[in-house]
Amino acid sequence: MPQSSIAKAGILAIILVVIGFAAWEFYLRSKGIGIAYDDGPELWAAKRELADVPMDQATILIGSSRNKFDIDIATWEKLTGEKAIQLAVEGSSPLPMLDELAADPKFKGKVLLDVTEGLFFALAPPAFSQPNKMLKYYKERTPAQRASFAVNTVVESQLAFLDKEFFSLNAMIKESWVKNRPGVFMLPCSFPLDFKRVNFDRQCIMTKKFETDTSLRNYVKGIWYYYGTLDRMGPLKGPKLDSIFKTVQTAIAKIKGRGGKVVFVRSPSSGPYRAAEAAGYPRNAYWNRLLTSTGCQGIHFEDYPAIANFDCPEFSHLKQSDAIIYTENIVKILHDKGWTFPKENSKSL
Amino acid sequence: MVFNSYTFIVFFIFILILHNLPFSWKTKKINLLIASYIFYAAWNPPFILLLWLSTVVDYFVGRSLYNEENKSKRKVLLVVSLIGNLGMLCFFKYGTFLLDNFVTLVNAVGLDYHPAKPNIILPAGISFYTFTTLCYTIDMYKRKSEPVKSLLDFSLFVTFFPHLVAGPIVRPPQLVPQFETPRKASALQLQQGLLLISLGLFMKVVLADSMLAASSDAIFSATNMVSSLDAWTGVLAFSGQIFFDFAGYSTCAIGVAACLGFVLPENFRYPYAAIGFSDFWRRWHITLSAWLRDYLYIPLGGNRKGQFRTYINLMITMLLGGLWHGASWTFVVWGALHGFYLWVEKILQDRNKTTPQAAMATESLPVQNGLAFPAALKKVLPPGLMVALFTFFLVNVTWVFFRAPDFTSAWRLLQPMFSYQSTAAPVLTSMSLLKVLIIVVLMLIFHWKMRNTSVLSVAGKMPWWLLGIIWAVLLGLLILSQESSSSFIYFQF
Repeated sequence: MPQSSIAKAGILAIILVVIGFAAWEFYLRSKGIGIAYDDGPELWAAKRELADVPMDQATILIGSSRNKFDIDIATWEKLTGEKAIQLAVEGSSPLPMLDELAADPKFKGKVLLDVTEGLFFALAPPAFSQPNKMLKYYKERTPAQRASFAVNTVVESQLAFLDKEFFSLNAMIKESWVKNRPGVFMLPCSFPLDFKRVNFDRQCIMTKKFETDTSLRNYVKGIWYYYGTLDRMGPLKGPKLDSIFKTVQTAIAKIKGRGGKVVFVRSPSSGPYRAAEAAGYPRNAYWNRLLTSTGCQGIHFEDYPAIANFDCPEFSHLKQSDAIIYTENIVKILHDKGWTFPKENSKSL
Repeated sequence: MVFNSYTFIVFFIFILILHNLPFSWKTKKINLLIASYIFYAAWNPPFILLLWLSTVVDYFVGRSLYNEENKSKRKVLLVVSLIGNLGMLCFFKYGTFLLDNFVTLVNAVGLDYHPAKPNIILPAGISFYTFTTLCYTIDMYKRKSEPVKSLLDFSLFVTFFPHLVAGPIVRPPQLVPQFETPRKASALQLQQGLLLISLGLFMKVVLADSMLAASSDAIFSATNMVSSLDAWTGVLAFSGQIFFDFAGYSTCAIGVAACLGFVLPENFRYPYAAIGFSDFWRRWHITLSAWLRDYLYIPLGGNRKGQFRTYINLMITMLLGGLWHGASWTFVVWGALHGFYLWVEKILQDRNKTTPQAAMATESLPVQNGLAFPAALKKVLPPGLMVALFTFFLVNVTWVFFRAPDFTSAWRLLQPMFSYQSTAAPVLTSMSLLKVLIIVVLMLIFHWKMRNTSVLSVAGKMPWWLLGIIWAVLLGLLILSQESSSSFIYFQF
């Protein structure tokens, strides 16, 4: 092969790739799409690594998506002077994470555990698959994977098109392009791009467009309704429910035994979602029993007027401005409950 | 460290710069050796001790084997090397498997024995570097080549990072002489290397991981019976995935070595265009099949000890080849199926040799003549195409045992592949079916068209602007796929 022709081909390839991706990046930016991080096992593991710190340096957040939308990390850190480490995983049970923290002798810190009843009191395998995947990756991660994550973070922080959930090849090849075979199980739709952007703290931030766009909000409400129809068994009861209480009790006893602290938080929901949760999971049988059986403190949003009546745009999560107010109040409530933080600002709220 | 990771990109750029600085050749080799250890240690640092042990033992045993005149001492030295290499492989790779089978056996004879499950971690690439060092000591025993002159060269031969964890499996004469004189990639070699790296990464990241892995995983992990369409699509997806994954790795390895000025042997030659199974094994994982031929099949007697022994030797080679891939009976069955196919092919070849019509047949298509394809088809289609497709069909059956975690899962998949299942719920979406079928059909066409040529030769004949556009598409899809750095399938072997 002539040397010059392959060199020319290589230069042409680089020029085409650079022009193509620059145009793609420019287009996405012009549409108001900013940076979002891949919220996969790599980012989760990097956050988990930070969790084994003394109690006065960080609070660990575990649970599901409500923790990720509702706790504004910047507000928390500004008010408390400590880190908030987000380990919640969307659409999943927090029990694998709680178990793992309980089993880690180095962990002696504070945990803020979000209780979304439909996920917390669940034993179905899908509720555990993502957390188990994160934990497996964390435990088996190699030095090379750590180094790759460090490089990836730098690149990801600069380019909007590096958003695997929406702009990867597979994400852009839509299932809906081809009529599906009858009988194949698949979720009817995925969440719209504007529903959330994930930052490096693993916080989900609802976009302004989503807050104001009724059709987008209705679309996500439709997804919640669809998930509701999948749950044909109804809320867990009897021995299976008892087994969850037992698991939680054992894990929390281990954390407390090492001097750690756990607080349960029931984050806000609204509209029909809130009504369905209240009907399916009566406070006495679930929330109150959880606090009694574990001896932990709890914050139920309905008990505090300042956070009791948020209007969640899609019934289940807070918009960013409300997340800031909610976080300020959670810090204050925790302070009132005797939690101490390095910074004294939390008192003055 | 895997080739499809940011860590490797940074590492490789650094090594490339270092290798082109005006250091002495010895310094450059030391740099490459240190880089290779870093490359390996990036998985699990303690396992580097095994690599050192294997290198040091085989270097000194190899020299002694070559120089020693006393036959008994030579045999003892060979046994030391075999025990050292194969013992390490047996412990790490087959320890749990052997214990499980032993427990099953003693329980079957009525003894109640239930030992604790050992928690043995498999060091990456142990099967590959064990074979690399093993062939050196065997060559030394047979005095087939000269001993490597320095420990540095031998260490670099064993550890050279492009081939270390997943091949190509190199022989001393292929690589050691390249360390003896200063080497630096020519501009053409560098450009070709970069083209091969781009192609290899495209095969692994875009085709294997992004397009095919999900469909294959969904079908092989299904716990209920799947439909015939799903079963075949899942198996075809795996056929594509394993090829693109492993051939992608080999292509990257050859490209990386070329960028540094070294030549590694070819490992894949469009295997799905193989006409028959001997042809398949001349095209699939070429360096392993050549190794098994030279260090197992031929020492067993090959075809020199009569027809019956030839068949036995063939089957032993394929069974052990299967076991080399993994410590499970499913891999043994995979090897046995290939052995059986080779038997049938040999029977057909032997029969053809005895008929006058067959004697007139071309040597290159021995199997085709033995198979009863309609004469009309043989006239219309290119010679060998039907046999190649039939070979591909049979290879797919073997992949079921290769990929399935156990025999129950394999059987659950084979049933719908060969019978209609009316009650099975469909699993794969229409888009998944479409992706797999398009990629597999294109792959087969590509293999058939390329079966007698090479990428670099075809690229060399293309207009530069067309090659540039194709190269840009490969890179563009590679960036767009955004797949994280998943391991190559063959690392577990």
